Amino acid sequence: MMLSSSNRWTTLLLDKLPLILLILIALFLPLLFSEYYLLLTGYILIAALLAQSFNLMFGFMGKLSFGHAGYFGIGAYTVALIATNTKIPLLFSIPAAIIVTGIIATIIGFFCVRRSGYYFAILTMAFSQLLFVIVYKWYGFTHGDDGIHAIPVPTFLDSSVAQYYFNLVLIGIAMAILWKITFSPFGYILRCMRDNPVRTEFNGIKLTRYQLIAFVIAALFAGFAGAIFTIFNRAVTPGIMDWTRSADPVIMTVIGGQFSFFGPLIGAVIFLFLQSYILGYTIFWPIIIGSILVIVVLFLPEGVTGLYQKILKAIKQKHQDKTKSELNKY
Amino acid sequence: MEDLVSLIFAQFLSGLTRSMVLFLVASGLSLIFGVLSVLNFAHGTLYMLGAFVCFQFWNALMNVGVGFWISVILAAIVIGLLGFIIEITLIRRTYTGLQLGHTQQLLLTYALTLIAMDVVRLVWGGRFYSIPRPDIFSGSVSALGVQFPSYQLFVIFFGFIIYFGLWLLLFRTKLGCIIRAAVFSRDMVAALGIPIKWIYTLVFIIGAFLAGLAGGIAAPLGTISVGMDHSILIECFAVVIIGGVGNVTGTLLGALIVGLVHAFGILVLPQLTIAFIFLILAIVLIVRPSGLLGVEV
Repeated sequence: MMLSSSNRWTTLLLDKLPLILLILIALFLPLLFSEYYLLLTGYILIAALLAQSFNLMFGFMGKLSFGHAGYFGIGAYTVALIATNTKIPLLFSIPAAIIVTGIIATIIGFFCVRRSGYYFAILTMAFSQLLFVIVYKWYGFTHGDDGIHAIPVPTFLDSSVAQYYFNLVLIGIAMAILWKITFSPFGYILRCMRDNPVRTEFNGIKLTRYQLIAFVIAALFAGFAGAIFTIFNRAVTPGIMDWTRSADPVIMTVIGGQFSFFGPLIGAVIFLFLQSYILGYTIFWPIIIGSILVIVVLFLPEGVTGLYQKILKAIKQKHQDKTKSELNKY
Repeated sequence: MEDLVSLIFAQFLSGLTRSMVLFLVASGLSLIFGVLSVLNFAHGTLYMLGAFVCFQFWNALMNVGVGFWISVILAAIVIGLLGFIIEITLIRRTYTGLQLGHTQQLLLTYALTLIAMDVVRLVWGGRFYSIPRPDIFSGSVSALGVQFPSYQLFVIFFGFIIYFGLWLLLFRTKLGCIIRAAVFSRDMVAALGIPIKWIYTLVFIIGAFLAGLAGGIAAPLGTISVGMDHSILIECFAVVIIGGVGNVTGTLLGALIVGLVHAFGILVLPQLTIAFIFLILAIVLIVRPSGLLGVEV
């Protein structure tokens, strides 16, 4: 391929351009936009991490979990309960949330990974609903339907700009770790299991063990996202872990693109932006996102990132054809 | 002592009523899941729409003597038609997708839930509606010291009738034979020259029809509201999984178990009854995903 070095840079840049743009905007957000967008982006970051952790199992391992919100909720409630009942500082309650989520996910995951396809989806949904019902009904411990409010937060987070950067840094680190995991040999084994489980097993890899590890990792990040959420939101309600909330990361991932690492992030941006914009005009958001979901599932199976890749490829192809035809003149 | 017997009997009948409504809805889900291998997340929505459409018809036919019954049948037909449209426009495109299109089907049917929720809000608003019990069954019957609404007895009876009807369809007609064969092996049925595409559509229509019928029949038992679909959906999953996919007797068994566990669970552990059902669902999925009477997975 006669790609000159400048061509190579252009290709690389175009490929990563949306991502670079997003990162720049994210870094300088407080200077560019009002407080409303700071808050919105905070939620987007949290949702994006949740969706990306979900996609570790979905896009890269091929198993659709319909119960991811449960682990988000566990992480969120752990921080909430620690903050309102003890004097333990934030520094320790976040790791605690991760550990608690991990333990619960290991137990649940042990049973779930033995099934696949629809059965896996329903099983994860059932367990997550179980967690939801326990949180909802155990009024004495979790305040049930009322939720936990006015969660005390360290004073350095009082300013929304500080809170924003706190979110950005923590979630950025989490995504970086997730990136490392996704593109590590372990991550590639997950892709093997997705593409050809039989052959993977023949290579001596015990499917259930690796899938359990991936399941727990995904849940850990979900719990972490939940912990950040509690700190950001200053309140939690059981509604964040209902099974319909488990559908949100699925929708975001499908819209953004399940086979790309940043697909879920893009999906989260689109989803939450659209939602906040449309809810400003009408309450009929579900029909709009439902219709978008139908269109994406039927016509954009690889999501927005897939579409972008296809466009890039078409442009590259046209450019190569042009170069070839020009060269053939001589 | 007599009070206890009455209480148990009352709970038993109440649970049985609930079981029969669940059976009506879940039988459609089970057939669709068994034959098409599609987990229809929109099944609860079809049930809810059945109730709303039934209400609409009943509203128009209020002065006609048998207005309620006509409304129920019309609602079921409308929902069956809706099922037909859904199958040929959406679900059909997914059969040849990745992993048999399961993810797409799940997402599409979930999307339908979202769309339908707003359609209901747009057309009927966010309020509750209710249909009173039809005159023939507006009284109550007493037995074993319990006053039991006769309509609920009718629902129980009707459920069994539908069960026998489905059983006759599946085990005594050629179509039923084809359907049962398709649950067991789609490819063989297609290889025998039977237009499997249209069998799929037909099964989906039957499933939708049953859900709409259930919605209409169950309407006088409670209120008609937007959240109906979610609350019945998970219980339907439980019924189908516990009983066994694609098996109508299994669905009946599953419905009886879930309905009665719920009814007696409320007596014993009211707060955790629903959690208990999820637990049973989870255990069945872990130990024997094919359910009590289903085809081995």
